[in-house]
Amino acid sequence: MPHASPSVEKALDTLSDVRKGKLDLGWMNSNPAGWGVKAVPRDERGLGLEDINRVGTYGDVPDQGSIFGSMAPRGSEIPDDMPSLGCYDINDKSLVWADNAAHLYDEAVARQWSSARDIPWGDLKPQRDDLEKAMCQVCTNLAEVEFVAGDMPAKWMCRINHDFHEVKLFLASQIFDEARHMEVFRKRALANGGGLLRSSPDSENLLRVILEAPNFTTGSALMHILGEGFVLTLFRNGEMFSLTPVEKKIFRLCMQDEARHVAYGTMHLKYFLEKHPERENEIHDILTRGEEATFSLNQTQDTVEARAILAGGGLEHIDEGFNKLGYLFKKQIHEYLHRLKMAGIDRTNKLAIPFELPI
Amino acid sequence: MTRFPSVEFFEELRARVNANPDLFRRLGTVDMTLVAKIDYDDSSECYEIRFAGYQCIGVRRLDRIGDAAKGSAILSGPYSGWREMIDNIVANGHADLEHTLNTLTLMDTPLRIEADNQLDTDLFYRYQQNLQEFFDNAGERRATP
Repeated sequence: MPHASPSVEKALDTLSDVRKGKLDLGWMNSNPAGWGVKAVPRDERGLGLEDINRVGTYGDVPDQGSIFGSMAPRGSEIPDDMPSLGCYDINDKSLVWADNAAHLYDEAVARQWSSARDIPWGDLKPQRDDLEKAMCQVCTNLAEVEFVAGDMPAKWMCRINHDFHEVKLFLASQIFDEARHMEVFRKRALANGGGLLRSSPDSENLLRVILEAPNFTTGSALMHILGEGFVLTLFRNGEMFSLTPVEKKIFRLCMQDEARHVAYGTMHLKYFLEKHPERENEIHDILTRGEEATFSLNQTQDTVEARAILAGGGLEHIDEGFNKLGYLFKKQIHEYLHRLKMAGIDRTNKLAIPFELPI
Repeated sequence: MTRFPSVEFFEELRARVNANPDLFRRLGTVDMTLVAKIDYDDSSECYEIRFAGYQCIGVRRLDRIGDAAKGSAILSGPYSGWREMIDNIVANGHADLEHTLNTLTLMDTPLRIEADNQLDTDLFYRYQQNLQEFFDNAGERRATP
């Protein structure tokens, strides 16, 4: 080797010493308080995050994340010369935590599915033009909005202290869920003689509000509770008005994932508000903006017409479809307000959109 | 031959789902308690169905809905609504497009889902495919019409 840098030289010297038998083995005696644990699976589901949090102090999550700002695993011994990476600046547990995060991650891992393998694509059937176009428009809208729920967590994950790894792992699982959702709706649009139809400027406006939320918690309230809560109902709606077993399965599997994300968001907001009741207005303010943007998006003609055609069973039954959508909107609002109430926030008198659609 | 509704009926569904462990292992873990509440003109029958991990771990009849475990999601509706769903599953081997759990509950009729809090209601959505498979097992047996 013609030239080695000082750090490479040092590493080579160390290796040479070790090979000559000059062992240190100090690491063997490190972290004595963390030694001797034996995590066991709770049942046949295998060894989960929840299980390893039950041994020793490994499940103790500090209110303030480690000051080291490193990737050191929580519970390990951290040498004094551990460098800070300088990028982990969300160190307050209350800003990201949810008591169900570990459980939801375990569940997410166990409930992954494949849009290639688990959807019975062979059961697609040619549809009437109006129905196929309506389904493709709905799929276009969903393919457009779904991955904001991947991009938003990704934007914040790289700043979250590693001591809150349960949250980071859950968010990682959500990102993959959303990748699958974007993929499966794109596939459906392209798989039955139709194609993608019109994307939506109103969608972009809503997505912008989510992506530009000033902090993780407001972004989460917007996305997990408002956005994904509404989309959860849309998925239920889609399952009911499916044309074949293919859409039925797509919407049902997506619905399951979405409900998991909503569960995290609700419990995170609850934890946050318990620690910071003085910040409730901050949540109200962002939800007001989000509700307005969501309402505008859901009532644009491209969106609402396509959904009403599917709900009615064809263009000639679009009025019947609008009536069903009106009922579902009420349900959407009802469930949204109840999730917020669980989180400790009452928006009954602050809702920025109607309780019912005038249809 | 078991009658719907009865403990034996739900026990048979439980036995069938547990006898096919690959199914829930593929779909994923389920942790919830579902109560099937069948309403008659002047009374109701309630059956508690408990899921944990990859299994249905228990079925029992409740004297009244108030005996349901905390956190239960209650799937309720008139006997005619339940009857139609079960008959459809038996006839087709599984629920057809119009008789899936989600479809029958979305408009709150003929069946509806509710719980003490929204997150418990949301469990019904979160485990939808498993619950559908559980009830679809009625299609592989010969339930008494």
